[in-house]
Amino acid sequence: MVMSQGNKILVDARGIACPGPITEVVKAYRNAKNGDVIEIWATDPGFEPDIKAWIQRTGNQLLDLRKEPDKIVAVIRVTAKK
Amino acid sequence: MSSVKKKVIIIGGGTGGAMLANRLPRDEFEVTIIDRQPYNYFWPWLLYIAFRGSRRPIKREIRSVLKHWVNFIQSDVRVINLKDKYVELESGKRLDYDYVVIATGATVDYSRVPGLDKVTEMYGNYHSNEENAWRVWQTLNSMREGTLAVILAPGAYRCPPSPLEGTFLAEEFFRRRGLRDKVRIVFATFYPRPYPAEPINELIEPLLKERGIDYITFYTLDHIDPEKRVAYSMEGEELKFDAAIVIPPHVGVDIKYVPDDVLDSDRFVQADKFTNMIKGFDDAFVIGDASALPVAKTGVTAHLQADVVARILQGEDAHNTGRTNCPFDVGYGLGTFVISDFNNSTIKYPINRINHLFKVAFAAAYWDIILYPELWDSIFEAYFEATEPAKLRYLYR
Ligand SMILES: Cc1cc2nc3c(=O)[nH]c(=O)nc-3n(C[C@H](O)[C@H](O)[C@H](O)COP(=O)(O)OP(=O)(O)OC[C@H]3O[C@@H](n4cnc5c(N)ncnc54)[C@H](O)[C@@H]3O)c2cc1C
Repeated sequence: MVMSQGNKILVDARGIACPGPITEVVKAYRNAKNGDVIEIWATDPGFEPDIKAWIQRTGNQLLDLRKEPDKIVAVIRVTAKK
Repeated sequence: MSSVKKKVIIIGGGTGGAMLANRLPRDEFEVTIIDRQPYNYFWPWLLYIAFRGSRRPIKREIRSVLKHWVNFIQSDVRVINLKDKYVELESGKRLDYDYVVIATGATVDYSRVPGLDKVTEMYGNYHSNEENAWRVWQTLNSMREGTLAVILAPGAYRCPPSPLEGTFLAEEFFRRRGLRDKVRIVFATFYPRPYPAEPINELIEPLLKERGIDYITFYTLDHIDPEKRVAYSMEGEELKFDAAIVIPPHVGVDIKYVPDDVLDSDRFVQADKFTNMIKGFDDAFVIGDASALPVAKTGVTAHLQADVVARILQGEDAHNTGRTNCPFDVGYGLGTFVISDFNNSTIKYPINRINHLFKVAFAAAYWDIILYPELWDSIFEAYFEATEPAKLRYLYR
């Protein structure tokens, strides 16, 4: 599920198994502009390495990656869109 | 007890819709299927038209795969009003129901990738219709050298293994024609690895290397220039090709819903993953590719969901397990299966010949399975039980 508020986009990918969360990130990324912030919530443990690899490969910016008791939260700033 | 039958309207006579209709007992339900066109398609066969030139029929009249007591209306559905409980046909006629089940599948949306419509016209694809699949076959047959790109566009698509199945079958095609050293094959995907789920990828990635197939990951297709023959990613990468076969983004079909917030931003219908009940309604369901559920868009999923919904309509407390069982053809008569459920991630299921034979046998039995669920259910039950992910997990780590 994707909710948009100003230039912040919240992607709730909780309960979705791999590769669901990264699909959701790419979906949000497709619709985002440089400068937008995407916050993703996921529960799949594979999400953490995937999002790190995604950041490294795409050259976007990882603002925060943290584990909360019930979810993994990643915050990304879109900077690398051509 | 009232003897009045409950009216069930099923929209879509594809895999899921037809399977459901044939499961509902005639003494309890009056079932009507509405489809905009007269055929039930076996979509997986597009792969074998595109990469093998197969002339085996891929469609059958919907009427011929339904029990004779199921009504069939050939018409486009324009409106589904869940609040006032009616379905509106293209003629403006309204049909009311006790239960409605949406089984309208998915459709492709070329507009999301500029240049994609032109590229499809030039080289075809194997995710839309027979004509485009034949175009892929022509593309392969006219290629003597250069780069063939198979590109998975970002978004939903049908059948998780299908992009790589096409890639492997293309490799086999060129090798058998003696052209393998002249044709470079490259697979591009937006996922972090060639096959998104790691356990299956552990089988697939070495196989791509062994067969000399190049691949690019984290490649989010943005637009294509059909004249220059370059595909550009959002990451700024340029992929040059001589022919490109693109798996297009899929969306839900164009029907007006009341209320429209049951749809997600890609027009897929949101529902409960255990019961397929549409968010906020206990008399409306969505099965198969039309749903926004985080499950694979496969015929097997549609089949199992049809079974669960049929049981719920009969008053049972039935639930989906999220089971997937997608056959994965890797060429040369070999295959694997992608097997998982809500509680178990994908199994590293070994590649062998038997798996491929299962896929072919299923194709041969497909319409029989739809028409006679009462004969096939026990066979499937035994099969699904024997291949339960919770059990297989210990065998194939
Ligand atoms: C290349 C390829 C390979 C595949 N391989 C496999 C495989 O190996 N195993 C597997 O399990 N699955 C596979 N699939 C996926 C499988 O074909 C689909 O998941 C399955 O067909 C979904 O069934 P469905 O009933 O949801 O939709 P569909 O079978 O697509 O049926 C939808 C129906 O709804 C009708 N409809 C749509 N809109 C309207 C409207 N407005 N009014 C009236 N009618 C409407 C359509 O005409 C259609 O008949 C593959 C798919 C492809 C493309």
